Amino acid sequence: MSQSDNSFEPNVIDDEMLQKAVEEQWPEDIRKLAKAEGINFEDVMELQLSFRNILQIDNLWQFENLTKLQLDNNIIEKIEALESLVHLVWLDLSFNNIEVIEGLDTLVKLQDLTLFNNRISKIEHMDTLKELQIFSIGKNNLTALENVVYLRRFKNLNTLNLSGNPFCNEEQYMLFVVAHLPGLVYLDFKLVSDTTREVAISNYSYLTDLLEHEEAQALAQLEEERAQQKELEYHKTAFVEYLNGSFLFDSLYAEDTEAAKLAYLPGVDDLLQAYRRDFVSVCEKLFNYGLKEYEKREAEVSDFYEGLQEVLTANQEEGRKIILDFENQNKTRLDEIHHASSHDTAESMRAEYNKDILQLSEALMTLEMQMVDQLEELIKEFERNIAVIASTFIENVKGMMTQCRNLENSHHEKLLEISINIMEKALKNELDEELPDDVREFLVDKNTIVNMVNKSHNIHLLKISERESDILLNTNHWEASVKEKALQNEIDRNRSRIKEIFQYIDDLQKQLNNTDSRAPGLGLPWAGQLP
Amino acid sequence: MEVLEEKEEEQNEEELKALELSSVLHDVEAELSVEQGCFSSDVPDFDWNSNDTSQLPDSYKMNSPREKKMLCIADHYHQQYTHLCPERKPLFLHPINECGVEKFVSTTVRPTLLPYTELYHWDGCASFISDYLTMEPLKCPLTPPSLLFSPTTILKYQRGNCFDFSVLLCSLLIGAGYDAYCVNGYATHNICSLDETLEECPLLRKPQEIPKEEVKKPNKYRVKSPPDMHSKFELQQEAKKKAETETTEKKEREKMGTEAEEPACDPLCGLRVHAWVLVLSGKREVPETFFINPFTGNSHSTTDEQFLGIESVWNHKNYWVNMQDCRHGCKDLVFDLSNSVYWEIMLSETDKPLQMLLGAEKKNELLDWNVDDMQDEEEEEEEEEKRFAMPPSWVAPIQVSPKEFETRYSQGRKVILYKKAKLEKWAPYLNGNGLVKRLTVYTDLSRTEVAEVKEWFKNREDMLDLREVNKQTQLTTDYFSPGHLFGLKVHTYKSMNPQAERVMEFYSETRVDGLQKLAENTNEMREYFVGRDDFKYFRHTEFHTERKKVALAGTRTDYSRPIVQIKECFHRNLQKPADEDVAERVFLIEEEVIQLTYHLKDKYITASKKDFFKPTDSYRRSEIMTPEMCNTYQAGSSEQHTKLVHLYKLFQELTEEEKQLKQQVQQSQAEVLKILEIHENEGADIKLPVSIYDTERNEKIRQEFEAMMNAKRDEFPEQKEQDSDYLAPFLIQIGSPEKITRKQALRLRDNCLSDFKDRIVSKANIIQAHFEKEVEELQKKNQQFQENQNQLSEKEEADFLADCSETMFRIHILALRLDREKQTAPQKYLALEEKLHKDPRLAEHLSHA
Repeated sequence: MSQSDNSFEPNVIDDEMLQKAVEEQWPEDIRKLAKAEGINFEDVMELQLSFRNILQIDNLWQFENLTKLQLDNNIIEKIEALESLVHLVWLDLSFNNIEVIEGLDTLVKLQDLTLFNNRISKIEHMDTLKELQIFSIGKNNLTALENVVYLRRFKNLNTLNLSGNPFCNEEQYMLFVVAHLPGLVYLDFKLVSDTTREVAISNYSYLTDLLEHEEAQALAQLEEERAQQKELEYHKTAFVEYLNGSFLFDSLYAEDTEAAKLAYLPGVDDLLQAYRRDFVSVCEKLFNYGLKEYEKREAEVSDFYEGLQEVLTANQEEGRKIILDFENQNKTRLDEIHHASSHDTAESMRAEYNKDILQLSEALMTLEMQMVDQLEELIKEFERNIAVIASTFIENVKGMMTQCRNLENSHHEKLLEISINIMEKALKNELDEELPDDVREFLVDKNTIVNMVNKSHNIHLLKISERESDILLNTNHWEASVKEKALQNEIDRNRSRIKEIFQYIDDLQKQLNNTDSRAPGLGLPWAGQLP
Repeated sequence: MEVLEEKEEEQNEEELKALELSSVLHDVEAELSVEQGCFSSDVPDFDWNSNDTSQLPDSYKMNSPREKKMLCIADHYHQQYTHLCPERKPLFLHPINECGVEKFVSTTVRPTLLPYTELYHWDGCASFISDYLTMEPLKCPLTPPSLLFSPTTILKYQRGNCFDFSVLLCSLLIGAGYDAYCVNGYATHNICSLDETLEECPLLRKPQEIPKEEVKKPNKYRVKSPPDMHSKFELQQEAKKKAETETTEKKEREKMGTEAEEPACDPLCGLRVHAWVLVLSGKREVPETFFINPFTGNSHSTTDEQFLGIESVWNHKNYWVNMQDCRHGCKDLVFDLSNSVYWEIMLSETDKPLQMLLGAEKKNELLDWNVDDMQDEEEEEEEEEKRFAMPPSWVAPIQVSPKEFETRYSQGRKVILYKKAKLEKWAPYLNGNGLVKRLTVYTDLSRTEVAEVKEWFKNREDMLDLREVNKQTQLTTDYFSPGHLFGLKVHTYKSMNPQAERVMEFYSETRVDGLQKLAENTNEMREYFVGRDDFKYFRHTEFHTERKKVALAGTRTDYSRPIVQIKECFHRNLQKPADEDVAERVFLIEEEVIQLTYHLKDKYITASKKDFFKPTDSYRRSEIMTPEMCNTYQAGSSEQHTKLVHLYKLFQELTEEEKQLKQQVQQSQAEVLKILEIHENEGADIKLPVSIYDTERNEKIRQEFEAMMNAKRDEFPEQKEQDSDYLAPFLIQIGSPEKITRKQALRLRDNCLSDFKDRIVSKANIIQAHFEKEVEELQKKNQQFQENQNQLSEKEEADFLADCSETMFRIHILALRLDREKQTAPQKYLALEEKLHKDPRLAEHLSHA
């Protein structure tokens, strides 16, 4: 430890300090190597920054893969700048001056957190630390025993240290904590005995039961919501969301103020009911058809990928076999070249080996070309099938939407008839029923009422068309994206395979070329035997 | 009594017999002498006349009135039978028993359930009988014997003919609840003479392989295979050639087989008398009717061609004569014994009272067999005058002691000859090395050239279960039960020499290192692992063939071969990315090279590799790690160099691993040696540990147990006395005086006796009351039923019948108990009086009373 660490000057984390800290962790030989090569903070998994009088945490963003960080025995006042250390499993912040728990939200992998000997007065802001197993918050300023209930959300928490907090002096401290944290194995460095647990549970059952009940309720609600969400997702992927039931029908009338007025006319109500019933039944039909078609589409896609996987596996095996054969045949060849009696024989052997390598490259490439051809055909077939499925779906949807439209048309005609009849009656003052004034207003001449009914009709038709085009658009989009994905996958696969082959062949050739360039004394087993 | 009906009957067998008898008579005699000769050679002649009958109970020596009546009925029946079917052989009805008394065959069957779980099932019974008894041929193979001994005598001398076997087996089976019958009939020579030399040993029969059907629908997305460049013609020609050679080979094989296995034609076929056991379906969940050959204990289908005909069948209750045609063997026979067209019954089955109740001829399908039995017995009592039931068996209870049961084979050993095989069996603990079974397989039918020997052991301390010696390959295979010190399961070897080739298999789940198999020969060792945390599944070690002189004197065993290379293979660890998960690592120890090969990445065909070259000593000082020390090939990434630091760390780890591996290999070697050592020691000094539950053999445990029992007895002697003091209550009444006067003694005695009498009477009264109540209830129910009979559904009817049968069962039991009570009461009374008379406290006063 250097001199500066012991001074009372508050420090800030800087590169120099980090460099030193990293180096200190390694044994002599590795440190030497690492120094020569340059240290990459990304590769560091553990870091110890204890006893350095650090006031402020900073500059740690480079340590992306850090799993263990020790910042104990400093003078840190605020938890900050740790957001990027998402792989952190162990965090030690004991013996600092922290007052509030904060800034830990991104550290979701954290299992072991120590805040011992700080100035914290409330346990909070830790909701995302689902993996927490060990938590130490002894010697702090915790005063409210009820605050411990917060820790109930950590289902894996088995070790807890609360000793040295003000509330520990309360008589019921131990039993209260044990009762509220049933999963606890160790509390304040001691094993929680079964008898303690029994007593605690019986003492506090009136509190914990209530809590448990609430939690269970919340969980059930959450689950229900999730299930609903999932169901809706499912319907959405089938493009028929909100078609089971009267959603669409209701939406027809949602913005239609005229229809509401017209509904007051005698006879219209019955008509509306009948219309609604028919319309909803068509929607239901469409909905069920949509779900069925969705299953069909999924089955087709999964069929394709299954088939593709089979083909790829077979191809992988074949390629692997070619390479293994080659490797087994040529295991000792480099050695032989090296031990060749004369330069000339070595040269000729090298040439021969080179030829074999090229042959291997050829074989692998042929295999790949064959694969490309085969897959192209496969994908084409898949595209054809997908297109057929999509177009039948579109056609049928269109048909059902036309049914909706027909329903709307006939409803419109009947409505028109009724309205005109009523208007005529009204004009002759034969109307029996009392009608609201605003309804009476438009029963004055034929034009008004016909306009009104037409307007309502147009709104409805528009809504239906919107919904239809929605489905059609989604379907087309799906078709295109599935095709695109299949093609892209194939292109990626082909590229990576070609790259792999080149790289492998390169490597082989390099090894071959290295046979003579390798200078004696470089640690080769045969180095000593060289002339 | 039943009258025999005139029937169309084919008497083919008898005609045939008459024809043949004259022509082949001397053949028979010749054969008989041969048979007897061959049997007398390996079985020392046993003289049944020498057995001692004086100890046998009276029932063996005389007939009860009922038995006499039964014999009368049988004679009458037989007269009618011979009158109606004069061509058929006389029936096997009442042979003479060991005391020279005629006994009806049904009464020789004594249903018994022995207290051994194995004997609760038919196969256990059958194999026990076939093991326990020694087979004797019939005196004359063409007629049933004139003697039929009691099962107890048969058990005592452990030998008998097929009739003895059958009666004993039938007794056990009926006792165990099977619907079993003894059968008198005809069978082939092989069956009659217990000749299994033409049959394959059941231990050698291969279990039938069930072909696994893979139901997998072909995916419609499949690529076209690239065009096939092979000549179709050539392939065809090849296939043809192959087929041809195969057929010729097959023919040759068949030829060989048939030549050797042609069975000799038997001139007495169809005439040889045999007795076996018939088990009818129905009871004890027997799904199908079958035969048991008592000699072998094997079951046979009723259509088996080795059984050629049936004369009659009987159980402990009745006797049936077969009226069906047996020209084609037994395969067409109908085993519905209640059908009087096919089976002629001796004691008529009484009409069912329930059927009378119903007033309709209902088939007794609804009724349980139990119901039948019960009714039979009940009627015996009620209508003894009218109908006659089979008298109870005259045979004393059949008993087999645990020791006899365990020893099984007479003289503790049994030999069975099969086709190309010989099976020997011994009782456990009889052989010092724990041998219980040995199967010798021969290459030829005459059993001269041994091909394979299998030996089964029991109770061995080293858990050796089975040893197979293949004489042709000279390979020995030992199979061990779980519990061996090193978890050894199978050990295959040629010799015990440590350097010889061997394969060991282990119970991998019991081993810490998960070793499943270890194969070793002179210069290599292969180890296979299962379920290891580090995913290792294979290790291959190569050694130098010639051993170096180990200079390190004394520090280790001189058996250690220098290692050339160690190769290890690992399964994929899904928690690591594929190109960081090592698939194979090879330590070329002599060349100082370590090669790592990683698992394949998805869709890749080349695996990442790292080769480390260990630095020479001189080099090491100057530099720690240089790029030249490691060849890296990283599949699918162009980044050529991983950091030297990482390589160095990896290299350090590997060097450490190498050291450990060397040690592990040496440990493995040492373990193999240790196993061999243990093997040798055990071979030399075989121990057969005895279970602590085996009080027969475990001397120590028995002594302890006895000591414990004695101690217990010593502890509470007084209490025991008090328990049985029948005078205590009366003594207390008179104030328990020290000395009893004569008057008091007399009063005591009278009190005691009268009290006892009261108790007996009240007990009988209670039973009587129960009985009357049940009878009344039954009558009421019957009345009700008859009134409503027409309205009842089938279900209700069935319910009623079940209910009825249950009530009748209870009535029957109550009647029995009442009867017994009546019979035993006077005896009990007398016994108590006698006891009082002898009681020390009263004796002096009563003796002169």
